[in-house]
Amino acid sequence: MRHIVKPLFRHRMMPLLVVLQVALACAIACNALFLLQQKLVPIVTPDGVGNPDRLVVAWNIAPRGQPWPTSRLGQVVSELRAIPGAASASVAGSWPMETMAQMNGDVLGEGTHAAKADAAIYIGIHLVDTLGLKLVAGRDFSATEEGVAYKNIGMGASGPAIITRALADRLFPDGDALGHVVRIGDQAGAGRRTVVGVVEHLMRNKFGQDDREDVDYSMLFPGVPSNWPVPVFAVRVRSVAQVGEALKAFKATIKRDLGPDMVQGFDPVLESYGDLRDRALAQSKAAVWLLAGVSLVVLIVTLVGIMGLTSYWVQQRTRHIGIRRALGAQRRHILRELQLENLLVVGIGVLLGLVSAYAINLWLMRHYELARLPWTYLPYGAALMLLLGQLAVLSPALRASRVPPVVATRSV
Amino acid sequence: MFDYYLRLALIRCRQNLPMVSLLVLTMAIGIASCMTAMTVFRALSGAPLPGVSPYLYVATMDAREAVDKDDPGYKRPDSLLKLLDAKALVDAHHAAQQVAVAVAQSLAQFGSPDGKKSTRAYGLMAYGAALQAFGVPLRYGRPWTEAEQSSDAPVVVIDTHVAQKLFGIDDAVGRSVTLGKRSFRVIGVIAPWKPRMQIFNLGQNSGSVMGQDENFFVPAQASLDAGVGPFTSGECGKGAPVISFQSAAVTQCRWMETWVRLDTPEQANAYGQFLAGYANAQHDAGRFAYPPRAKLYGTQAWMTQNHAVPDDVHLNLMLAGGFLLLCLVNVAGLLAARFLRRQADVAIRRALGASKRDVFVQHLVETGLLGLIGGVLALPLTWLGLWIVRMQPVSYADAAHFSPGVFVILFALSVAVGLLVGILPAWRVCRQPPALQIKLA
Repeated sequence: MRHIVKPLFRHRMMPLLVVLQVALACAIACNALFLLQQKLVPIVTPDGVGNPDRLVVAWNIAPRGQPWPTSRLGQVVSELRAIPGAASASVAGSWPMETMAQMNGDVLGEGTHAAKADAAIYIGIHLVDTLGLKLVAGRDFSATEEGVAYKNIGMGASGPAIITRALADRLFPDGDALGHVVRIGDQAGAGRRTVVGVVEHLMRNKFGQDDREDVDYSMLFPGVPSNWPVPVFAVRVRSVAQVGEALKAFKATIKRDLGPDMVQGFDPVLESYGDLRDRALAQSKAAVWLLAGVSLVVLIVTLVGIMGLTSYWVQQRTRHIGIRRALGAQRRHILRELQLENLLVVGIGVLLGLVSAYAINLWLMRHYELARLPWTYLPYGAALMLLLGQLAVLSPALRASRVPPVVATRSV
Repeated sequence: MFDYYLRLALIRCRQNLPMVSLLVLTMAIGIASCMTAMTVFRALSGAPLPGVSPYLYVATMDAREAVDKDDPGYKRPDSLLKLLDAKALVDAHHAAQQVAVAVAQSLAQFGSPDGKKSTRAYGLMAYGAALQAFGVPLRYGRPWTEAEQSSDAPVVVIDTHVAQKLFGIDDAVGRSVTLGKRSFRVIGVIAPWKPRMQIFNLGQNSGSVMGQDENFFVPAQASLDAGVGPFTSGECGKGAPVISFQSAAVTQCRWMETWVRLDTPEQANAYGQFLAGYANAQHDAGRFAYPPRAKLYGTQAWMTQNHAVPDDVHLNLMLAGGFLLLCLVNVAGLLAARFLRRQADVAIRRALGASKRDVFVQHLVETGLLGLIGGVLALPLTWLGLWIVRMQPVSYADAAHFSPGVFVILFALSVAVGLLVGILPAWRVCRQPPALQIKLA
């Protein structure tokens, strides 16, 4: 070991430059990959919507002046249900993948401690059917429950709720969410919602710093939100073939029923849920490509840098290597020595890099809405960089191991 | 001497082309990524109204009049006030020579008197001397007077764009336009005007980053009388936030922002105290349900507070900066290796009488040249990077445009990068005494 460490101190510049490079690359790559992973979450997590190709959504609909009364919204829904091919129709306050109108709240499981979650709240009628959600426990809302009249939007009101499995697991870790009460906010007068059903997945419509669990924290409340200026309508169609026609009828209905009172300058958007989803995720997808590209270039640049430095470092020591070979060192010894040396130098760089990656993340967290870099990330980052270092040293080390012993007798 | 070094550098560059292209390419990528992020950042930072916004302040206070438990998102006082409060603040004339203005964005349908032509336009409903406060360039006519404002006279200031649409001419002063239910007299025509960035109603405008054209200015009360309200009514609820669109029934709503123009920090301090005094008086009188925590924000601080420049832009800039740093270290290492391989040449030059300084300068010239080539290569790469940004589905995509200023920075950056990465290797190569170098060789 001593003959590996000692030369590093004698010629400090080369190893120092490698250490610096690895540390920098490690800090950048860890943070970039972490950001990338977060942007990837809403793309790869199931949103819970069944048969998305048979769902059409109308949004960006807003009234001039006072919000439409709930009775009128209900009327529109019953007309939508009469559209040929419609299996189910809904009106809701917000909609998965539609980020313009959001209802979010901190919810708490009653009776449990410290279980709090930021969940999306979807208030509307026939949502389980229209969204095609998969109930894994409990039941859908009854007709009576759907007929509730809220004084306001309904976020703070009490009543029944259907929640996602992820949220149920979070709030009621014992697995007995059904029949328990979820409180909407921690104030004394907060609404209390009894869980009547659990659905497999339903993505919330607020994308931020998520992991795979909390992006799936959603709740459904029955009824039409009143005093809500931006209702969303949706129709589930029986077969894909009927989508085009249903979309046309849908558009006509919305225009006829609500068109005269709509805000100028807003045009209602009618589209399939798939298109809505694509658009909502377009920014995340673009960011993923960008970050992936940056990470890749960072790694390539580092690889090339280490390679260049090591090959010079090896070339400079050709004579030493020749002497060692003449004294009986075998090829694999030389190879292993150089690999070990690289491991040592890169290892120091990685250590520095991980510390700074963490420090940078802490700083970013203080100034921006960023999540904490999970420590489980660090071993992966370290392994990646060490592997990269080994890859970079391979070709120079092989070349060094082929140095014939006779070199020692020549003056270079 | 310089051109001799330059010639030497060129010859050496040709000797090991793959290595040199690697060096140059690494520098170019680093510079280009940094330039791309910087271009976007520069477009989105700086004063939204050059020369004006540094003196503009917006008033914030918790002016909610009922206990509001349905809005957990309300963390700090916002800038929305009732017209009543906005009027009171503006009419107090507490800013001696300065003007205060209350604004809200509106979308309105303008019609020519004969009803034949119409156009849709975004503009501001204001109380106070809006044009003066924001430094809006007036082409023809005049702004409205206090007398017109207090008598709710139907007057309007439009921009040349609307004037052209309705009348086919720029100077539309004296003509009348229909706005809502009433006919308004055009008293002034402004040049097309927009803030570089969105500054109005940031709390509810979080989606839009870039400023939009404000095609007209109209006294708020006259506009409301004609049935034209603000685009969003802010918050009107008793106990719960209710938002409505384009409603003229906004007496119960907090929908106006109050902007003040103050020239010195002392004036800003004094105004802040006045503001706090007003807000506290309202709270004491029982109107404001919460302690008002009134605060005056400078434009820049207000934009930072509301994340007017998306976090992504900052993060990308930092990422690009870090990447450039990595590229620098990388190139410095490769250059050191490159120079040290040539120690024999240096030793001969040193032995023939070249001083350390000569050797140092010679190597710096070489790296400076490499940096310059890197900069030239970075130019198309930056262009490509900006194109990629423009293709992104982000609200600030339009800001990613190449500008002459960027070109200058790019040039300076590339030379700086070239010299910076050269310092360590050049110093390293000229450090060893010539005798030792010859011996080593």
